[in-house]
Amino acid sequence: MLLRNIQEWTLLLLIFGVASLAANWFGYDIMPISAVPGMLVLIAVALLGLILQQIIPVHFPSVAYIAIIGVLISMPWMPGSEKIVEWTSQVELLALTTPILAYAGIVIGRSWTDFMKLGWKTIIVASLVMIGTFLGSALIAELVLRLQGII
Amino acid sequence: MSSEITYGLWKDWRLHGLVLLTVAATEAIGTYSFNVGPGVVMLLPMLYALIVGLILYFTPLIKDRQSEKAEPLIVLGVGLLLAKIGVVIGPSLPEIIAAGPALLLQELGNLGTVFLALPVAILLGLKRETIGMTHSVAREPNVGLIMDKYGINSPEGRGVMAVYIFGTVFGAVFLGVISGFLATITPLDPLSFAMASGIGSGSMMAAASGSLIAAYPALETQIVAFAGASNLLSLSTGLYVSMFIALPLTERLYNVLSARKSGRGER
Repeated sequence: MLLRNIQEWTLLLLIFGVASLAANWFGYDIMPISAVPGMLVLIAVALLGLILQQIIPVHFPSVAYIAIIGVLISMPWMPGSEKIVEWTSQVELLALTTPILAYAGIVIGRSWTDFMKLGWKTIIVASLVMIGTFLGSALIAELVLRLQGII
Repeated sequence: MSSEITYGLWKDWRLHGLVLLTVAATEAIGTYSFNVGPGVVMLLPMLYALIVGLILYFTPLIKDRQSEKAEPLIVLGVGLLLAKIGVVIGPSLPEIIAAGPALLLQELGNLGTVFLALPVAILLGLKRETIGMTHSVAREPNVGLIMDKYGINSPEGRGVMAVYIFGTVFGAVFLGVISGFLATITPLDPLSFAMASGIGSGSMMAAASGSLIAAYPALETQIVAFAGASNLLSLSTGLYVSMFIALPLTERLYNVLSARKSGRGER
């Protein structure tokens, strides 16, 4: 069961990796050959996080495991972290997000009819909800960062 | 990540091929920015990709079944994204720890939804839907909370679903457009907006922080590290902020404001 999951995840992560390498090349002029080592590291990290989520019996999202592994292997105190940072720096963050949003666009097509049924009042309120949380967080962050003298 | 996983999703070459073409084409076009008054609006390739994907859904090239297949793929893509964010946070860890107080406290900024959106919702004449709509940004944990407390067919439940649908379809585009714009017209520091980008949704965070990176390329590493750390924090604390602070506050403010409004109406 787990082995079959690992096989499926690996293949899908590789497909994502290829799309991201294309984005990296077309959008940021980084040749795929120089980004491959970093991409393989990221795929390995994601795979390990997915596996840990399955075998550790605590309810904790896989993305959290993945992020923690990423942090651990790239911390300045970790031997070999310079290599990890050097390789993965060849993979642009935004090159990873473009394929995600392409798939997301295909998925949200199914929600489109529901979206079109929302009234104009909902659209106004929902926009203010987004702006409210974004500005609210930015204001508090600004205040505290200034008090701390970081910015 | 659900345990009932469907196998063989990788075999759908038409779906993956179309995505690959979309990605290559949108990245080749590149970022487009334009001025609106003193601010700058950034349109990133990922936003075009979202729109192309949406259009593809309505063409015969993509069937409903493929749209369903694409859904579990997003979890894996977000996994890769978080691996990248992890390795950006790692080297910046000392900096993140130093900014810890700001990171933690800005989580309370989510209450901005209540103060900004709730009064407007009541002015527009919305009833108890308001509570579901404005208590949070309505991502999955918040939807769960409202459904649990008020039920699926309650006005509160309908309200939270409406904002959820808006966020799902339009959230990334909306935040991508306003984040660069707000960062360039307000005197606030881009790093404050980077922390604000961590809303608790991978695609919204990517779009919001992506625009910031495009506007301030020199700060890229710090923006990614702060946005990523803040997003992880939102994922882990967001539900508790909603449950113990935001929702009670929303209820109270709703009661006060709606009583005042109807009181005035009767006179």
